[in-house]
Amino acid sequence: MKRNLKSYVLNLSAVLLIYIVISSLIGTGAINKYYTGILIMIGINVIMTVSLNLTTGFLGELALGHAGFMSVGAFTAGVITKALVEQYGWNATACLPVSLLAGGLLAAVMGFLIGVPALRLKGDYLAIITLGFGEIIRVIIQNLQITGGASGISRIPRVNSFTLTYVLMILVIIVMFTLGRSRHGRAIISIRENSVAAEATGVSVTRYKIFAFTFAAFFAGIAGGLYAHQIGRVSAATFDFNKSIEYLVMVVLGGMGSITGSIIAASVLTLLPELLREFSDYRMLLYSIILIVMMLFRPKGLMGTAEFSLTFVWNSLFGWVRKLLKIQPKVKDTPKAGLTDESVKAGHEPIMPDLPAYPLQEGEPVLETRNLGIRFGGLHAAEEVNLRLYDNEIVGLIGPNGAGKTTVFNMLTGVYLPTDGDILLLGKSIVGQKTYEIVANGIARTFQNIRLFKSMTVLENVKVAFHTRMHYSPATGIFRLPRYVREEEGIDLRARELLRVFSMEDAADTPADGLPYGQQRKLEICRALASNPKVLLLDEPAAGMNPIETKELMETINLIRDRFHITILLIEHDMKLVMGICERIYVLNYGRVIAEGKPAEIRNNPEVVRAYLGHSDQTNKAQAELEAIRNGNA
Amino acid sequence: MVLFLNQFINGLGIGAIYALIALGYTMVYGIVKLINFAHGDIMMVGAYTAVILMVDLSVSFPVALVVSMLVCVLIGVVIERVAYKPLRESPRICPLITAIGVSYLLENSAQLLFSANPRPFPTVLSIPPIVIGGVNISFITLLTVVVSVLLMIALQYFVMTSRTGKAMRAVSEDMGAARLMGINVNITISLTFAVGCALAAIGAMLYCIAYPSVAPTMGMMPGLKAFIAAVLGGIGLIPGAMIGGFIMGIAESLTKGFVSSQLSDAVVYGILIIVLLFKPSGLLGKAQREKV
Repeated sequence: MKRNLKSYVLNLSAVLLIYIVISSLIGTGAINKYYTGILIMIGINVIMTVSLNLTTGFLGELALGHAGFMSVGAFTAGVITKALVEQYGWNATACLPVSLLAGGLLAAVMGFLIGVPALRLKGDYLAIITLGFGEIIRVIIQNLQITGGASGISRIPRVNSFTLTYVLMILVIIVMFTLGRSRHGRAIISIRENSVAAEATGVSVTRYKIFAFTFAAFFAGIAGGLYAHQIGRVSAATFDFNKSIEYLVMVVLGGMGSITGSIIAASVLTLLPELLREFSDYRMLLYSIILIVMMLFRPKGLMGTAEFSLTFVWNSLFGWVRKLLKIQPKVKDTPKAGLTDESVKAGHEPIMPDLPAYPLQEGEPVLETRNLGIRFGGLHAAEEVNLRLYDNEIVGLIGPNGAGKTTVFNMLTGVYLPTDGDILLLGKSIVGQKTYEIVANGIARTFQNIRLFKSMTVLENVKVAFHTRMHYSPATGIFRLPRYVREEEGIDLRARELLRVFSMEDAADTPADGLPYGQQRKLEICRALASNPKVLLLDEPAAGMNPIETKELMETINLIRDRFHITILLIEHDMKLVMGICERIYVLNYGRVIAEGKPAEIRNNPEVVRAYLGHSDQTNKAQAELEAIRNGNA
Repeated sequence: MVLFLNQFINGLGIGAIYALIALGYTMVYGIVKLINFAHGDIMMVGAYTAVILMVDLSVSFPVALVVSMLVCVLIGVVIERVAYKPLRESPRICPLITAIGVSYLLENSAQLLFSANPRPFPTVLSIPPIVIGGVNISFITLLTVVVSVLLMIALQYFVMTSRTGKAMRAVSEDMGAARLMGINVNITISLTFAVGCALAAIGAMLYCIAYPSVAPTMGMMPGLKAFIAAVLGGIGLIPGAMIGGFIMGIAESLTKGFVSSQLSDAVVYGILIIVLLFKPSGLLGKAQREKV
């Protein structure tokens, strides 16, 4: 926590310093009214950009209607302040908290109402539908009586000030930072990285999409309220599609997913047109050229997903001074992550993640499917599949390509809804549950084609999967209440422990896509285990591995079973691995279970032989696989 | 009833123009998955070229049409090479931003060169409208509809049967595999832009004959509407663009005639939203599922 303290102090002093300098310059008149106005617009645009970054950068969904939420906030706040001042004789400044909050809340409500239907769509279609909603908001406001129709409302008391804008801007930035580093922020980022994997590690993708969208709309509403009280008049035409695009440009140029990038881009792009005022005719031309050139030479944006860190600057500055003065740095014990003496003394012992209980009757299967089947149109991808997995077993699911193995996995994890039969986990049916609910109930999986959260670190990848086992609310995370600190410390300990089991603790802070292939597979398993499953489904874990890696994997799988006391079902084509570690094997062909038994029994089963060889179109690969089934060393 | 028919026919006319511009969007999107925001501005370039040729240089309309098509094709291909091609491997939002930049660039260049004041477009055809039982069918509307339907059919035929068309479809399915089959991906993409831009030039002519005024920002609204039309019909599909364009035009025109001209945009966007909620990939689009 010492490192945190340093960054708190550094950032707080920077924030205060900037405020004191600017406000004293305004006070002495060194910055005139015109430039104060520009500074305030920067503040408003920073709020807009940072909030849009939550949807576009963190969540990864292109939203083209952000200005619509700003206008909802602007009109709501404007109308309320005007009414309170003119009809109830309130002091205009006293109205601000009420009207800004109301503006933000109404924008949030709109965000929620739009988000619920819109977020079912993906990618470009989502972008277009947000564009459509944004424009509809504009047209509606233009046709409402209370918002003054096409001409909008004017004579809103201009009571906004630099101080207010600055304070709100800083608050929004802080909230974005703390949210981004809480379990909720991790969940949102994991959706951007890989939404299928996010759902399969227990994150409710729909819920978090709507959450992010609503949250961003709230801040856009606040920014709109500030704008209304700054300019004094608002008309809906200001907040059209082009305005939304303007903010999108700021987000992308700053770097999607970088809050400091957004701050810089919003400041520069608000200032730029003012600086170019001398060349007024060429101003927009230059702006457009800068935009194109910037993108061509730095497609990631200014900051990419990185953040500008004062602590980093401070440390490197000190390192540089030390070097210059040839002072030997004092070697300090680096405080171990997580539990420190101080935190224990303060009664802040970490809260460990939940350990879900899995009540198991003697002799009952952990997971059972009863006549499970699914049809796609006329095609029976799987039918009458009856599997019974018992406690602490390693079971193989094999079969030729296209036999329906992955389809079975997808039904078990709620990706597909079976058309027939039932799935019982610990005696209870899980058919119809969402993937993230099934994860919470005890089934975790890995994927045939690796699905990691690529740009997140190894440690963060694992931490995402603790999601279902933690409890603190978004508010607790944003305000960093003690519960947040304790739970985060708890999962930090557990996540590192888990990595240590797989001897990956040294790679904890490298990005996941920087790992070698075999390690990536291992990380995916590690992540699946973090949700503390009772059943682990491995989909071709050895695919693409060399013999040495495969051998290591076999040891890992055995280790998992012994150490975590779970049941493992694995799909695999590598027969050496299957015959080597599975206690029982199910053979699937054309969607049906054609054989079941111990490896030795499977090896000599005539049905299995026919499945692999029975058709003229079978490839050499099938033959080789069969060969391997026969010769596989048990 | 007469009013309804009149509005309906007006809607067909404007819808046909939307459809023509939408074809350009759809082709480009189909092949490089890029929303080419500059497409509407290409149309503006075509309109200015024609005005300058016809008014300042007194060239005949057919020549002006061909030259403005060539200018649009050239500009379109250059834009693709300079602003989009380097970003083909980047996240898809990057070319989107350069497209926005290009759109601003074209609009502002036009403003510098020709000032913001609109220029009148000369009268090309002065054939009186056909009147059937009180229903006005202007010759221009008729021409617009016929031209755009014919072009759509020709384009569909071209894409489905010609060698180049097949190459385009192959590149849009899988760029890497197409390259391995010996298709020159860069040229195919350039050709797609060329076709789209040529269509935009024709659309510009029809648009200007119907609304004879040329201004730097004239491409913005029809461009956006045409794009919405493409999405409505199912982006990437040529018949989809056509259907989307006609629906947009008719809905807009009927709202203007019977409800309120201010609400016409809201109705158009409302239709888009409703269609997308029930058919997430547009009217003719097929839903795609990510394979797990």
